[in-house]
Order: sequence, then structure tokens, then C-alpha cells
Amino acid sequence: MDVSNVLESLMPQLVLVLFALVIPALDYLLKDKRVLAAAALIPLIGVSMAVVSWMFFDVWTPPASEIPLVETDSLFSGLFTLVFLAVGVIVVLASVDFVGKDRNQGEYYSLILLAVTGMTLVAAATDLFVIFVGLEIAGISSFALSGFRKREKRSAEAATKYFIVGGLSSALTLFGISLFYGVAGTTNIASMGAAMDGTFSAFEGSESVAMLATVLVLAGFGFKVAAVPFHMWAPDVYEGAPTPISGLLAAASKKMGFAAFFKVFLIGLLVTKTDWEVAIALLAVITMTVGNLIAVSQTNVKRMLAYSSIAQAGYLLIALPVGTQYAVAGAMFHIITHAFMKSGAFMVVAGMSACGIGEKLEDFKGLGRRSPFLALAMALFLLSLAGIPPLAGFASKFVLFSSAVYGSMDPGPGWLIWLAVAAVLNSALSLYYYARVIKYMYMEKGSEEKVRPPRASTAAIVIALFMTILLGVYFDAVVGLCLRAAEAFMDLPLGI
Amino acid sequence: MLENVPILSLVILVPLIGAFLTLGLGRHEKYAKVVALAFSTVAFVLSLMVTYAFATDPAGSSASHHNGYQFYEEYAWVETLGISYIVGIDGISLPLFVLTTLLCMLAILFSWDTDKRPKEYFGLMLILEVGVLGVFVSLDYFMFYVFWEVVLIPMYFMIGIWGGPRKDYAAIKFFIYTHVASLALLIAIMAMYFEAGLQTFSMEAIAAESVGFAKGVQVAIFAVMFFGFGVKLPMVPFHTWLPDAHVEAPTAGSVLLAGLLLKMGGYGIIRVAMPSLPAGASEMAIVMAIIGVVSIVYGGMVCLAQTDLKKMVAYSSVSHMGFVLLGYATLTQVGVVAGVFQMFAHGLVTAILFMMCGVVQHKCGTRLIPQLGGLAKKMPIAAALMTAGFLASLGLPGLVSFAAEFMVFYATFVKWSLWVFVPIAAVAVTAAYYLWALQRSMFGPLTDRIDTSHLKDMDWFEYVPVGVLVALTAVFGVFPALIFSRIDPAVEILLRLFGGG
Repeated sequence: MDVSNVLESLMPQLVLVLFALVIPALDYLLKDKRVLAAAALIPLIGVSMAVVSWMFFDVWTPPASEIPLVETDSLFSGLFTLVFLAVGVIVVLASVDFVGKDRNQGEYYSLILLAVTGMTLVAAATDLFVIFVGLEIAGISSFALSGFRKREKRSAEAATKYFIVGGLSSALTLFGISLFYGVAGTTNIASMGAAMDGTFSAFEGSESVAMLATVLVLAGFGFKVAAVPFHMWAPDVYEGAPTPISGLLAAASKKMGFAAFFKVFLIGLLVTKTDWEVAIALLAVITMTVGNLIAVSQTNVKRMLAYSSIAQAGYLLIALPVGTQYAVAGAMFHIITHAFMKSGAFMVVAGMSACGIGEKLEDFKGLGRRSPFLALAMALFLLSLAGIPPLAGFASKFVLFSSAVYGSMDPGPGWLIWLAVAAVLNSALSLYYYARVIKYMYMEKGSEEKVRPPRASTAAIVIALFMTILLGVYFDAVVGLCLRAAEAFMDLPLGI
Repeated sequence: MLENVPILSLVILVPLIGAFLTLGLGRHEKYAKVVALAFSTVAFVLSLMVTYAFATDPAGSSASHHNGYQFYEEYAWVETLGISYIVGIDGISLPLFVLTTLLCMLAILFSWDTDKRPKEYFGLMLILEVGVLGVFVSLDYFMFYVFWEVVLIPMYFMIGIWGGPRKDYAAIKFFIYTHVASLALLIAIMAMYFEAGLQTFSMEAIAAESVGFAKGVQVAIFAVMFFGFGVKLPMVPFHTWLPDAHVEAPTAGSVLLAGLLLKMGGYGIIRVAMPSLPAGASEMAIVMAIIGVVSIVYGGMVCLAQTDLKKMVAYSSVSHMGFVLLGYATLTQVGVVAGVFQMFAHGLVTAILFMMCGVVQHKCGTRLIPQLGGLAKKMPIAAALMTAGFLASLGLPGLVSFAAEFMVFYATFVKWSLWVFVPIAAVAVTAAYYLWALQRSMFGPLTDRIDTSHLKDMDWFEYVPVGVLVALTAVFGVFPALIFSRIDPAVEILLRLFGGG
């Protein structure tokens, strides 16, 4: 193993960490804090351009990693990395004005970069321990970010809650990983899959240990993706955290959980699928239904978006019990589109608060007149979340839900079709609370005073909006990439 | 003339451009109606050119044609999943296509005095037109579904912003109710796609494969699709969104809702469900017939009890769209052609009725029949046009609905002999509620329950569109062959799947 290969393999993470360390130093040197945001954008945009030029334009190919802990050239990790970086860009842009008057901005941007670093590490991981380390790096950065406005009660409460629940979830995950190590004798995900031949009953004498380990990891990851019943922290944290950070948590941090889910369950535990598929299918249906039902009664838009995020996690969980390449491709596509539409919706709320408007449903009254841009963007994000064509959310839900229909056909188990039915009915239910926000914006009379969101927030919203429309109208390239990524992901063993 | 012009795409594109221009007018809102009318008129003229160049015999068409579809265009869209942009038109879609451009143009003209947020109002109407036109010419499932759903959003806003007192409830009910139906349709589409396993969403390609599906599969998918389309139609018992939506919608919204959106359901059954799943359709024909008759009878009975003129007209749509189902269910040449023709006829007639309801509401401030009376004395033009509309709707020979309904009865008689008296009895009910309503609102002594001193007759922008529509009901009532000759060959091709016409 030579050093240059290690450096090459971890180049994205190294670049991000380097800037994360430089930015607090810059904070001491500079008066104009907007430079800090610009400095945070450099590695985010730079690395994404490198990834895009590799995946979409074949300009170069990353060298294969020689260390058995990460993979550098898989489309699967490339796409996830791109999602995390893109959300990072949007969040940083929206933060410029949001935290413009706060202290400690250097640490703020530095922590965002570190959170993204952790997420990309999970995306690249081929080993349970690397996944754990990535989850921790991202987790600890996010705890601090949620409590960034420490003098604000809600923010402090959110951070505390998130920290306690996050700690618990890490402990569960780690315990599960240690049991897996005991059972399979390895922490490498692909070798673990090879070691687990057949079902749990294959482990003579230790099937209950393997079962327990699966449950523990499921619970640990379940907290990360906020699947019911591990979701209680999400609404409080999303509501209390600074709004751009809520966007980061919903659009990126949660997706990191799914990257981990896919790797562990569809590679490491694929052979034992019959043992866990029904449990996760039930979890998926319960998660989407509970998320949507509770979202209906919310009057705070950030909380509503939090519950909608829980529901979206339920949709994504469908991919695990279906477990086909097509399902993984659908889930990846939905992860990509959801990253843009959900972060976009949060950034509209952030942009509104930069204009001095609150985040209650009432505050959205008459927004269509006050700021046609914000209202139109919000309406499109919400309709996309509800899955109305021709927006991105429709296209990705179409692929994701249809994978359950496909999976239910011969020779697959017929009951999978009910996952599609449940998801579709839930989509209709979600339309109710999304449409209600639109109703408040356009059909209710509110303050007439015109507002104008700050320029950086506008830029963040425009990026998200552009992608939400583009991926709804033209998604050939992205779906093709997701399908190829899923094919490589499911066929080839991860790493060595 | 139109050999190498992508004319169908052009007809869809024109209102889309118009919509963006209208919405982008900014402070010059007062020109919104002019821009909207101009673009919808261009679309109408283009659709007339399509009609003119449309060859009754598809093989004789000079334009590009493909398995009976004329003006055929195909471009790859999302190749990975087999999604393409395919449009084409045949005898079944042509009448509805022209009806769409006509009604949109007239509805925009009819709304000439709208001064509440005009640019949004007219812009949304044009977006709606794009969606409906797209549904009628799409030959790719994915694209069909996209247009199908695009229609919902402008209508949701039209009811929600410009609607009556209970607009919030009506708008959300319309949106969710029809969205659930759409999602059922979506699942059926996914099932067809994977069951066919061709990696394409092309309707024709899938239909060629799906006619060979096992009977059980066909019945299951057909039932789901039928639900999806039937809610839109609407069929009893899934019609309850319709009266709410209509009562609260602004007049032009009601015109487009009843005139065009309901037709999407009837069109979907004949374009997608029946030719793709003939075994399923044959099995379900009797269900279609029963639901059709129940809709006809129930819709008519409920009309009798209504005191709100608009609600009465709304329920009459349930009754009249039942004829479409009944016609299809016979699976005979005459019956299916009549079903398609009934959609066209109902589109013309119901537009007149809703416009007249709008006039009454506008001038008198109420639509409650007991409040009205003797309006003919003050509003002679309105009385004449309303009488014409009501007579057309109740099936007076010589007017357009008669031809359609008569043929449905004929086909029903041939198929199920004397059972035909059930729907025929309902026609007597239809005549009763229309004439009774007419008598109470227009004739007799002038009402003193509302202030009639300033009552004016219809404005020009009201009687022109209604007049045009009344004239058309007479033209197509006397010469239904103008339309039949187009529908006939297309239905013949379709019925070959059911073992002859």
C-alpha cells in the first residue's frame, strides 16, 4: 500500500477537511464574514465538479483504492457524494444571510464541511467501522450545528435532544457491529455477506446473535433516517435548529443513513433477506403513514417538513424489502430529487426568516403577493414532494414505487405490490398538507408588504428549483446513471 | 398542406407560450384577456386545420400516419426507461381535440369581465388547455399521465382562488379525490409496463402485447384503470367531488371542468383501457353497463331535487356521462361510436348550460330557482338561449344530444333488448327537471324575491360564445354524420379486438 494511493483515495475528504481547518483561521483574520462562505464553497464546488466530470462526462476515472476500507470508483458512492456536496452548496449559500449577524461563523462553516466529510466517508465506505466513523463525524458536527444559536432556547434544546438520541443510536449501531464481527469474523461488508451463507439458521448456535445484531443495526440506522418508531427526535431538532441546518439534516444527513442501510442490508445481509424483509416492509409502511398523518396537523411549517421527511424515509425504505437493482436505482433517484426539493423548501423558509417572516403556517398567508418568487418556488417544491408531474418528485417516485410493482411480479413475492399501494395512498394523503401551504400562500389574504429575499438565499433556491424542474422534465442521464450504479452495486462485491 | 409540420405539438405549444406570456405580464394585467384570447384562437384555428387535413380513411392521409393515427410524431425522451414523446390523432380523439380548443377559446371570451387577478386567471386557463390537449393526443403512457396530472393544478387554483363561498373545501376535495383516482391509474400503468416487459411506455406497443395477457390479469388491471378513469367521468358512486367542485368553481372553470375534464375519463377508457385489455373489458362490460345505467337514473333523480340551478346542471352531467359508459359497454360499433359522440355532444351542451348558470348568477346575484321567476321579461336573449340549451340537453330531436342518446338506446336494445326501458325512463325524468326548472326561473310572473329593477340582459361577450355553441348543437344535431364519419373507422379498428364490430 503506497501513500500516494491513500491520498488519492481520500482526496475528496482531505480537501474538505483542509478547508474546514483553514476557515476558522480565516475567521480571525477577516472582517467580512461572507468570505468564509465563499471559502466553504470552494471545496464543495470543486469536488462536485470533479465528480460530475467523472460520472457524467467521462473526462477522467478515479484510481481504484488499494486500501480495503473505502472505494473510490463506484458510481453508487459517487452519486451519494454528489448529493451531499450539492446540499452542502445550497446550505452554505442560504446561510450567508441567515447567520450573517451571528458570532463564530468560522466554526459554523467549518462544521458544515466536516459534516459533509463524514457523509462522503459513509458513501465511500466498504467496512462497517468506516461507516461508523463516518456516521460519527457527521453526527457530532450536526449536534454542534443544531445548537449553533446556543442562546436560543429552541436551538439548545434541539442540540441536547439530538445529542442524546444520536449517542444512543451510535451505541446501538456499534453494539450491532461488534456482534456482527463476532458472528462473521470480519467487519468488511462484502466478506460479511460471504460469511453469512443462507439464513440466520446457518449460524449454528449463534443465529440469535446474528438476529440481535441485525435488529440493533436496524435501530441504529433507523434513528439516522428517522424511521418510525425511531423518529421522535426529528421534528424537535428540525424545528429548533437554524433553518439551513434543518435542510442539511433532512436532505443530506438522512441520506447518509440510507447509504449505510443499503450497504449493510443489501450487501452484507442480502443472503438473510427473507429474515428481515417483512419487518422492514412493515417499518416502511408505518413510517410513511405515521409521518403523513402527523404532518397533517402541524401548524409550524418546519415541523410539517420534518414529518414529511419522515414520510419520505418510509418511501425510501421500500427499496430494501424489494431489494432489486431497479429498486435501488429508484431509491437513489428519489434520494437525489428529494435532496433538492426538500432542501429547497427549507431554504425558502430560511429566506423568509431573513426577511423577517416567521415559519408558522399563518405567516405564509398572502406570500404569493408579498414575494411571488418565494411563493412560486415553495409551491413547486411542495408539489414536487407530493409527486405531481412534471416535477422531479414525480419522476423519482414513479421509478421507486414502480419497483415494488415490478418486484411483486413473478417470481417475486406478490405482497410487494401492497408497498406500492401504501406508498401511492400516502402520496395522496401528503398532497393535503402540501396543498394547504399553497392555499395559504395564494388564496388567503395576508400582509401586503412586499419582501425581497437576500441574494445568496435566492441563489440557493434557484439552484434547488432548477434541479427540481430539470430532473422532472429530463431525467434520462440521471436515471441511467442510477441504474448503472445499482447494477454495479448489487452485482459486484463491495471493495476487495 | 401539413405534411411536414409537427402540427399537434404546435397546437399544444401555442397555449403554453400564451400561458407564460400571460403570467409574465406584470403590471399590464389588463391585457391578459387579450393575450389569452389571441393564443387560444390561434390554437383553435390550428386545430381546425388539423380537422380539415384529417383524412377519414387513415391510409389516404397525406400527413404522416401510423396504424390509424395521423399527424404522428415520435421522439425519444427518457430512453433508459423507454419513455418517448409520441403524439398522434385518430377519429376518436379528433372531435375531443377540437372541442378542447373551441371551449377554451369561448370560456376565455366568456370571462371577459374578470378583474380579480386576471393574469393568473387566464394563464391558468391556458395551462389547463395544454394539459387537456396533451391527454387527447398522447400515445405514450408516461406522457399521458403527466398531462393528465398537469390538468389538476390549474383547476385546483381556479376553484380555490376564484370560487364561491365554500371554495376551500371544494378545491381540496377535487384535488385529492381525483388525485387518488390518478394514482390508481398510475399503478395500472406500471403493471402494464412490467407485465408487457417491453421496456417501452408506448401505448401501441404495450397494447399489442397486453391483448395476450391472461384473462385474470386483464380483468384486474382493467378494474383498476376503470376506477381511475371512472372517478373522472364521474360514475356513481364516485361522483361526489363533482357537485362540490362545480357549485364553487367560477363559470369558466365549470365550463372547462364539465366540458373537457370529464371527457378525459371517458376518453381514457376508450383509448387505453378497452383496446389494451379486451378480455378484461368483455368481462367487465356488464359492470360498466350497470354503473352507466345507475349513473343515468340516479343523476336524473337527484337533479329533480335541486334548488340551485348550477348544482342541477352539475348532476345532469353525471346522468349524461352515464350514456358514455352504457354506449361503451355494448361493445358494438353503434354503441361505442355513440359513446364517443355523446362526449362531444355533452361538451357542447354542458358548456351552454354552465355559461347560462353563470349569466343568471351574475345578473341576479343568485342561482336558487325559488328566488327566480319570469326573467324572460327582462332578459329575453338569456331566456331564449337557456331554453335552447335545456332543450338540447334533454335530447330534443334535431339537436346534438338526441343523435347520441338515440344511438346508445338502439345499441342497448340490440344487446339487452327490453332492459333499455330503464335508461329511457330516465330521459323522461331529464325532460321533467329541465322543463320544470325553466318554467320556474324564466317564465311566469316576474319574481319579487330579488331586486329586478336593474336587471340587464346578457352582455356581448356572454351571448356570443353561447350563441356559437347553440348554433353548433343544431348543426351537429342535423348533420351528426360530420362527426360519425371520423369516429367510425377508428372504432372499427378497435372493435376488431372484440371479434368484429
